[in-house]
Order: sequence, then C-alpha cells, then structure tokens
Amino acid sequence: MGLRVLAVDDEADFIETLVKRFTYRRIPVTAAANGPEALARLDREDFDVVILDMRMPGMDGLTVLQEIKKRHPLVEVIILTGHASVEAGMQGMSLGAYDYVLKPVDFGELLEKANKAYERKKLNESRDHS
Amino acid sequence: MADSIRVLIVDDEERFRDTLAKLLSRHGFTVRTAGGGNEALALLTEAPCDVIVLDVKMPGLSGQQALPLLRAACPEAEVLILTGHASVDIASAMIAGGAADYLLKPCPTDELEGAIRAVYDRRQATRPR
Amino acid sequence: MNPATILENHRPPLWPHTLLAPLLAGAAVLLALAAPPVVGFALALFAGAVCIGSALTLARRVRSGERQLRELDKRLLQSQKLAAIGELSSGIAHEINNPLAIITQEIDLARELFGPSGCPDPADLAEVRDSLDQIGKQVERCRLITHKLLNFARKMEPVLQEEALEHVIEDMAILAEREAKGRGVAIVRAYDQTLPTVRTDVPLLRQVILNLLTNALAATPQGGTITLATRRSDDQIIIEVRDTGCGIPPENMAKIFNPFFTTKEPGKGTGLGLSLSHGIVTRLGGTLTAQSTPGHGATFTVALPL
Repeated sequence: MGLRVLAVDDEADFIETLVKRFTYRRIPVTAAANGPEALARLDREDFDVVILDMRMPGMDGLTVLQEIKKRHPLVEVIILTGHASVEAGMQGMSLGAYDYVLKPVDFGELLEKANKAYERKKLNESRDHS
Repeated sequence: MADSIRVLIVDDEERFRDTLAKLLSRHGFTVRTAGGGNEALALLTEAPCDVIVLDVKMPGLSGQQALPLLRAACPEAEVLILTGHASVDIASAMIAGGAADYLLKPCPTDELEGAIRAVYDRRQATRPR
Repeated sequence: MNPATILENHRPPLWPHTLLAPLLAGAAVLLALAAPPVVGFALALFAGAVCIGSALTLARRVRSGERQLRELDKRLLQSQKLAAIGELSSGIAHEINNPLAIITQEIDLARELFGPSGCPDPADLAEVRDSLDQIGKQVERCRLITHKLLNFARKMEPVLQEEALEHVIEDMAILAEREAKGRGVAIVRAYDQTLPTVRTDVPLLRQVILNLLTNALAATPQGGTITLATRRSDDQIIIEVRDTGCGIPPENMAKIFNPFFTTKEPGKGTGLGLSLSHGIVTRLGGTLTAQSTPGHGATFTVALPL
C-alpha cells in the first residue's frame, strides 16, 4: 500500500487544489479543515503523512503537531506555513516535524517531500517490527 | 512613614523585581528597581539607599562584578545577595567581598523581608548616626 | 589524592643509571684498552652488563611512569565528568529556581490581596488575576525546560535516509532567510553542487541546521551576512554556518556546548539549543565544532561521515 496523505488547512481553496493534485497522481488524500477534525480522522483511519498548516483558528498547528506525535508517533508531519518565524520553526522541528516549509511551495517539491517522509515512516516501522 | 527602609532591587528578571517591589512597598519599604548592575549604579548616584538586594547571574555586569562598584558608589548601603544559582562558592566570595548576607531563590517574601530588616538593624547598631 | 603525590611516591633517584652507570662503563672500556686481552674482555663484558642493566631499569621506570599517567588521565576524565554533572545540576537549579522565585512572590502577593477576610478588594481583583496569569506563564517556562531535558535524555535511534544534503538544509535556509531579511541580514549559500547524497536522519539534521541559523541570526547585527556552506573533506561532509556577528569571547568558548549556557536574557533562551545540537550530531556519528575570533563572527562546523 502506498502513501496516504491527510491535508489540514482552514483555507478551503488551498486544500481543494491540494486534494485535486494528489488525486490526479492517484495518491489517496483526505482533507481536514482544523486540528480537532484532523485528530479525529487520524484516530479512525491510517495515514502516513500529514500536511499541516500552522495558523488555524481554534487549535493552533503546534498543538496539533504535538497531539499527532503523542498519539501516532510514527506518522510523519510536514508543516506548510505562510508565516515565517524561525522560533516557530525551531519549535516545530523539535516537536518532531519532518520538515517545516514556507508557502508557496511547488507541488512537485511537496510531493517529493511527502514521499521522503513516507520512506522514513516505512524505515521506522520496519525497525520497530524487527 | 518616618523611617522607611530604602531598598534597591537589582535583578534581570523584570517580573521578579516588579512584584517584589510591589510587595515591599505595601509593607512600608521605599523601593527602587534596576535591571542590571549599570542601571543600579546610575540610580545610586541619584540617591543613596539602605539595603541593596542583588542578583548574581545577570547579563552584562554580573552581581559579582557589580558588588565592589555598588559598595563604592554607596558605602552606607548593606548588600543582600539573592540568587537562584546554587553556587555557594560565589556567594561566600561575595560575603568576603563585603555583602552582608545571602539568600537562595525561591525565597518566601517574609523571609526576605526579615533578612532585609535584620541587615538594616545590624547596620544601624554598628554605625549609629 | 593529589596527582603530583602519586608520581613522587617511592621514586629511587635516577643518577645511578644516568650518571654512575655510563661513567663505570666508560671507565671499564678505557681500562680494557690498556689491559691484557683476557682482562680487557672481562672489562668489556662488565661495561656491557652495566649498560644493559641500566637500560632495563630505565625502561621499566618509563613504563611504570606511563602506567601512572594513564591512571591519572582516567581519574582526570572521571573528575571532569563529575564537574560536568555538577555544572548541569547547578544550571537546572538556576533555570528552575528563577521561575519558582517569581511564582513564590506572586502567591505571596495574591494571598496578601485576599487579605484576612479571604475576599479581595474589588479594586485588587485585576491584580490577583494578573498574578495567576503570571504563575501560569512561569509554570509553562518550567515545563518547557523539563520537557527539553526529557528530549535530551530520550535516546531515539536515528532513522537513516539517503537524501541530497541541499534538500535537507535548504528549507531551513529559506525559513531563516525570511526572518533575516526583516532584520537587514543577508543569507549567502555556498553549496557544493557535486556532493554525493548523505545517509542521515533528515529531520534531526534539519533541527541542528535551524538551531545554528537561529543562533547566527541572534548574533548578527543589521547589514551582516550569514553564510551557509557545504563541502566535502576526505570521507566527510562538512556543513558550515558562518556569521559576521560579535563572535564568542575565548572564556565562553569552552562552555558554549554546555547545557544551560546562554548569553540571552532570562526566559529568552533555555541554553539547551547548542548542547542538543551537539548531542544530535554526535548521535549521527559526526562532530559539531565552533571557531571564533571575537569581533569577527563565529563559524559552526558540522562534519558528518559519508
């Protein structure tokens, strides 16, 4: 089974385009509009990579990241944010994000990152089982 | 209050010195605050004080470096070391350098207040006006 | 025990071997020249025996000296370790004691505002609330420190992935660049395009690079430059973060990788960034080093095995 993506962003237009582009590449993708919705999805279904926006109303991205890493430590998270702050980047990376990327990001690049994150998850899982 | 003890708090933690100032003022002390050694020296040239509450670890001029300068700027003041640093060596070196006493953070306010009064009373006894 | 005393104890003098023996042997050889052959042969044998005996004694002495030195080295390492633990605990104490001191005071103030009646004056309510907020903030500060310490203690095995080094570090450079622009600092890339891929833990290395860039940003004044360079050196890949900031005073150089060492304002930095980075790079099988000429910036170098 290949890469399964969960995309979390409150910007409907952005997420819609993202879903379309992943679907076009035949990569299963699910959208969530906010943190609690994403966490609920993760509890019910298996995902490999979460693409997470930092600035969302309600639960902020860092809290969502922390929760994801607590409940599903093997799931890899790529943070996609329009807001550059080295401080937030440091926090995100030290909380276990795979990468911290500034918007706008080229879709090809994002796909490559998602695949790399997926590869890491597989490596991690194979080690856990051995 | 006729004989209000004049205290100068020197600490780089803003909230710490502000709340301590608030508490001591409520208890009848006359309080000024400084965020570091240099600011404290400037304040002492404006007006002397009775007791200096001095932190040890501060950026810029450390408490240890500031101690002789503060004593020179205001010889009549007693210096009380209040430090979060667990280094007894530094504290005892500062006592040898003329500090009156030292307390370890965190320290209940009444204990600190007692120490300020004790140091002040000792000074009044040894140096009668 | 005083190290000097170990070396000084039970040391017979050296002069019988360095002075007396060569003198005896020399005299014997001179006598052997003048003496009849049989006696000369005996004298030469005697001279040889004296020389060999002395040489053996000296060799034994040198070996035992080396053994004692090794013993000393071991003790020195042990005492250095103990000193590091001492410094670490004193650092933790200081970092936690400061917020605790604030909490203690806020509680004292709030209690006082509540007064003997147990009901604060309406005019003081805002102040009580402010005290509670502050207590919350300081608890958060303590929590951050303990969590980082736990991160420190956690030995997560690195997950090694093949990746182009540029892909690992470029996102961190972009992130730092946006912030640098706002402060009038330029980020210059000097990537070696011919580098082979690295096998490393990608997010861990990103964390290190971002930390080094953050430190460089904090140290570099407006108009300064931060250079992010990669190159190959024998069987190592080198990543360099150079800044044109204030540099590191020599007296701080030995301490910068110590946990809790910071030159930032209280509450602004935990002083764990560089020591965490150092720990990560070591776990990745590499080294993290620093060079600096005060006033002329600093260079942090990550060297990773290929």
